[in-house]
Amino acid sequence: MKQEQFVALHAEEWDALRFWLAQLDRQPKAALRSEKTVDFPESYRRVCHHLSLAQARGYSREVTDRLQHIVEMGHRQLYRPPAPRWYKAATFLLAEFPRLVRENWRYMLAATVLLYVPAIATYVLLQWRPDLAHSLFSATQLKEFEKMYDPSNPKIGRSSGTDLQMFGYYIMNNVGIAFRTFASGLLLGVGAIYVLTANGVIMGGVAGHLNAIGYGAPFWRFVVGHSGFELTAIVIAGGAGLQFGLSLLAPGRLRRETALREAAWKGARLALGAFAMLVMAAFIEAYWSSMSMLPDVVKYGSGAAIWLLVATWLTFGGRGRNHAA
Amino acid sequence: MLDTVREIETPEGVSLRLRAAGAFGRAQAWLIDLLLRAAFFFIGAAFFGVFGKGGAGLGMLLLFAITWVYSVVCEVWFGGQTIGKRSMKLRVVCADGTPVTLIPSVVRNLLRVVDALPGLYGVGLVCTMIDPSARRIGDIVAGTIVVHADALPAGSKVPMVPSQLLPVPLDPDEQAALIDFAERAGHLTVQRQEELADILVPLTGREGTAAVTQLTAYANGLLGRP
Repeated sequence: MKQEQFVALHAEEWDALRFWLAQLDRQPKAALRSEKTVDFPESYRRVCHHLSLAQARGYSREVTDRLQHIVEMGHRQLYRPPAPRWYKAATFLLAEFPRLVRENWRYMLAATVLLYVPAIATYVLLQWRPDLAHSLFSATQLKEFEKMYDPSNPKIGRSSGTDLQMFGYYIMNNVGIAFRTFASGLLLGVGAIYVLTANGVIMGGVAGHLNAIGYGAPFWRFVVGHSGFELTAIVIAGGAGLQFGLSLLAPGRLRRETALREAAWKGARLALGAFAMLVMAAFIEAYWSSMSMLPDVVKYGSGAAIWLLVATWLTFGGRGRNHAA
Repeated sequence: MLDTVREIETPEGVSLRLRAAGAFGRAQAWLIDLLLRAAFFFIGAAFFGVFGKGGAGLGMLLLFAITWVYSVVCEVWFGGQTIGKRSMKLRVVCADGTPVTLIPSVVRNLLRVVDALPGLYGVGLVCTMIDPSARRIGDIVAGTIVVHADALPAGSKVPMVPSQLLPVPLDPDEQAALIDFAERAGHLTVQRQEELADILVPLTGREGTAAVTQLTAYANGLLGRP
């Protein structure tokens, strides 16, 4: 069949399909209500067939490019991802994420060691030689910490600022750190190791210094509430970064690219879970931890309850038979 | 490596052509996004400034959203295009040509941290220059590719002239070349048209403008016009 006849025979169908696909991009609801929706699969298949024919018969670009474009538009609609659902986000947080954390427990353990060992070491060191704090932090930083955790401060944990301001700051800062920890794991895990260790030293340094100068009580009263979510989230983000870096170093029986891609998928979901945890932590830190009026029982009791909640969630979430993936 | 077109075989048995976008267009799209986001942030910050210190917190949340969330939301829910990409007619798709989903989009945007090293996307730039499909590290890991989204300029029509039959039968690709010539002749200078047409003197037996007309007439015949 000559090209002109072919076009004359089918152009009407091509234009109709193209019109409908363009409408679907602009006004999806109106397009889906029109009766052409029912014909789409069949019509799309026919146009694909026409494209094959046109290519095999050596028709000119005028026809093949035109068909190519329609097929591209159709392909994009036919294979588009399913619409997001709330219950999916809920199953992710309640079942999938804890499962993923447990599945990667070796990396989580390594990240825990990398965070807590330097922290405890620095803390102990500062009890023994308090003057070492000055080689860890500058004088202005130390003054800032002392001001934040001064027992006479009506709002612990900050030198100024309202609850909302601090909430925004914690989100921006902590989530940024978690995301960078995961992503910099790509550099053979070095980025994640660095962030974990450095954060450990800073944490231990601040705690050790404040304890040594006698400001320990307000500090612990401040951090006990949100630390359950925050520290665990940092560990998870670090673990995600470690497994990401290790997949590049030791891809096992996969090609490096494939191994890296699988690790990135896992890591991204872990990072999303850590993001949710850090939002929770920032909320507690800004609105609950900073209250200095509450008695110790409430402060430490709530902190312990939150740690227990996090532990239970990560240990038992998604274990039941109902969640069989 | 000169050819940036990737052919993807779809389940329908046709091949899709993905035209990978190079570093320059993507950098432009990024710059447009950057300016837009900066403008948006300053307007937002000025607005929240009214609320005092609490407003500063809202400003920080806004900064978080436009740094980390903006690209992902645009790519997943607005057809793989941020505003910058839309204005440069680029689109993020999965390596198999299907629309990008949440996790690949999260991966490719989180890995901007690595691509942006050591400042101004140095790693990303080098990577897009080495990779045949101009992917940066984030794209390679996420399994995505940035493609040109605009329709190819539809081949212009072969000018209508009374058709003539070919004096000798030609192979299919020779016929295709003839039609391609007739379609594109309009974009060439007259001298170039004649130069090209003169190659086929053995077929047409003519030179110059006459040869061009003759070839157009053959093309009309091949297309099936009267």
